[in-house]
Amino acid sequence: MARVLLEASGLYLSFKGVKALVDVNFKVAEGDLFAVIGPNGAGKTSLLNVLSGLYRPQQGQVVFLGEDLAGQTPQQRVRKGLGRTFQNLELFRGMTVLDNVKLGAELATGGYTDLTPQTRIEWKIRRQAEEVLDYLHLAPYRHVPAGALPYGLQKRVEVARALAGRPQLLLLDEPMAGLSLEEKQDLARFLLDARREWNTTLVLVEHDLKAVLELSTGVLVMSYGEVLYHGLPSGVRENQRVAEAYLGRSA
Amino acid sequence: MYRLSQYLTDAFSRRFSRAVRENYQQDEAYASTPQGRFWLAVAIVSLLLLPLVLPSYPLFVATQILVAALAGLGLHLLVGGAGQISLGQAAFVGVGAYVSSHLTGDLAPLGILMGGLVAAMIGMVLGISSLRIKGAYLAIGTLAFQFLADYIFRRWTEFTGGVAGRKLPPEDTFLGLPLTDDRVIFYMGLAFAIPLFFYAKRLLSTRAGRGWFAVRDNDLSAQLSGVDLMRSKLTAFALSAFYAGIAGGILIHLIGVVTPENFVLFFSIQYLALVIVGGAGTVLGAVFGAFFIVLIPEVLSVLAAAFGPQYVAQLSAWRSVVFGGLILMFLILEPRGLVGLWGRIRDYFRTWPLPY
Repeated sequence: MARVLLEASGLYLSFKGVKALVDVNFKVAEGDLFAVIGPNGAGKTSLLNVLSGLYRPQQGQVVFLGEDLAGQTPQQRVRKGLGRTFQNLELFRGMTVLDNVKLGAELATGGYTDLTPQTRIEWKIRRQAEEVLDYLHLAPYRHVPAGALPYGLQKRVEVARALAGRPQLLLLDEPMAGLSLEEKQDLARFLLDARREWNTTLVLVEHDLKAVLELSTGVLVMSYGEVLYHGLPSGVRENQRVAEAYLGRSA
Repeated sequence: MYRLSQYLTDAFSRRFSRAVRENYQQDEAYASTPQGRFWLAVAIVSLLLLPLVLPSYPLFVATQILVAALAGLGLHLLVGGAGQISLGQAAFVGVGAYVSSHLTGDLAPLGILMGGLVAAMIGMVLGISSLRIKGAYLAIGTLAFQFLADYIFRRWTEFTGGVAGRKLPPEDTFLGLPLTDDRVIFYMGLAFAIPLFFYAKRLLSTRAGRGWFAVRDNDLSAQLSGVDLMRSKLTAFALSAFYAGIAGGILIHLIGVVTPENFVLFFSIQYLALVIVGGAGTVLGAVFGAFFIVLIPEVLSVLAAAFGPQYVAQLSAWRSVVFGGLILMFLILEPRGLVGLWGRIRDYFRTWPLPY
């Protein structure tokens, strides 16, 4: 068993009576491709928001690299290697693709004081950004403003920006939603490449069951904030509670 | 014949088209092509030669453009860069002006620098408000600052001289050079402006600029990409005020007297107009915008005088009308401002006569 990177235990989160997370426990080991699935409103995005620090859970704790993340801001978590992409694109639309990715790459190269530009570090950032751009086949678009790209490419730029920071663990919120079949296949391949090449552990929120079951090494199924299933992807289809949540109870 | 045509094509593309960039270094450098370096050199040399050829009044106007460009550039960093609106730029110009009016003579450059630094500190304090409020609310907040500063300029007579303002010593000299001479002031302005322009250009294409643009485009996402929002906004406000303060210091040496009327809300709005007309977020935009807002009144007064003396009386009214109309026109027709226009013209000639 590989080293445990991320561990969530006993997470509770509610918004004025709506229970978004109820006693959520799971572990993600290094090198995993961990998928979180569930119907709409199951609390998947809430879970990611708790992990990346946008929401504060009422109970429970998140441990990343052996350290309790309670009270740390989203920035501090990102700097520790906990990357994040969004479901609805949150790109910097007015910046070029290259600048978007460079901004991500700054995390990995380490910053310097903003007001004294340092050429050497700039080149390091540029090289790192270019490596990621190459990997995700984005090099031809590097000087295009990100907002001007088609949807599928924007999704890819967002993944590139997150990967450029070389996160140890990357939280992806529905990276494949709204993509065509070919784009999904491409993106899946990029993610697998990143995992192999940079040893990035991936946590994926996804609707596409087929993709999840084929790709992942571990699955968490949620419904109305509760965990229905936690284990290997092969067991998902046999699980009675999952079938009920997705297909409804048989009469 | 073939050789000749090949040579001509090569020469043509070397001269008029962008040279091929072979590595990342060339891709990032400004003025990376021989042609670009040539024009940059021409621009700087002609700026240095300007006072030797221009008569007194045009030089006065040129220095005004320089001052407006500097203050405008500061606002560019704030509005076009970090996406924070400010209606208090003229107040920062005023702070710089009053502070440097206390240090004249041989200390004049030090005074200008001090003016910039004091303005930067006040700017950082004002920037704190931007951590809580955004958009229109921030605009109102900076507007309040503008009025507050105006009140202080008028009432704190020991420091500002009140409504009458502060006069610079009439026979002021800097290292033996007369500070009343427009040429000396122009050179002093250039000595501040050229490094500050290169610095701004560099900042916008490196870490600070990326952080600002990220805050402008999407502050939530910026946070989750590791950008320190507070630091980004505060540096933008401080730098913006610093540039304004420096501009103020040069301005008082140009006009020789500081009165509160030079720093009222109208000028703040004019600086904002400069940013919009020039094309927000670019260094070149500040220069174009400054030309625009300084030269339009000049052109109008020449026109009014040409049509006859009866029009001169209505000049100020017409100036506002033309000004407002032109800004509206830019917002509708060319949102990227004069820089966008310039880019289009340049692209047209770069590919001429074979656009495809």
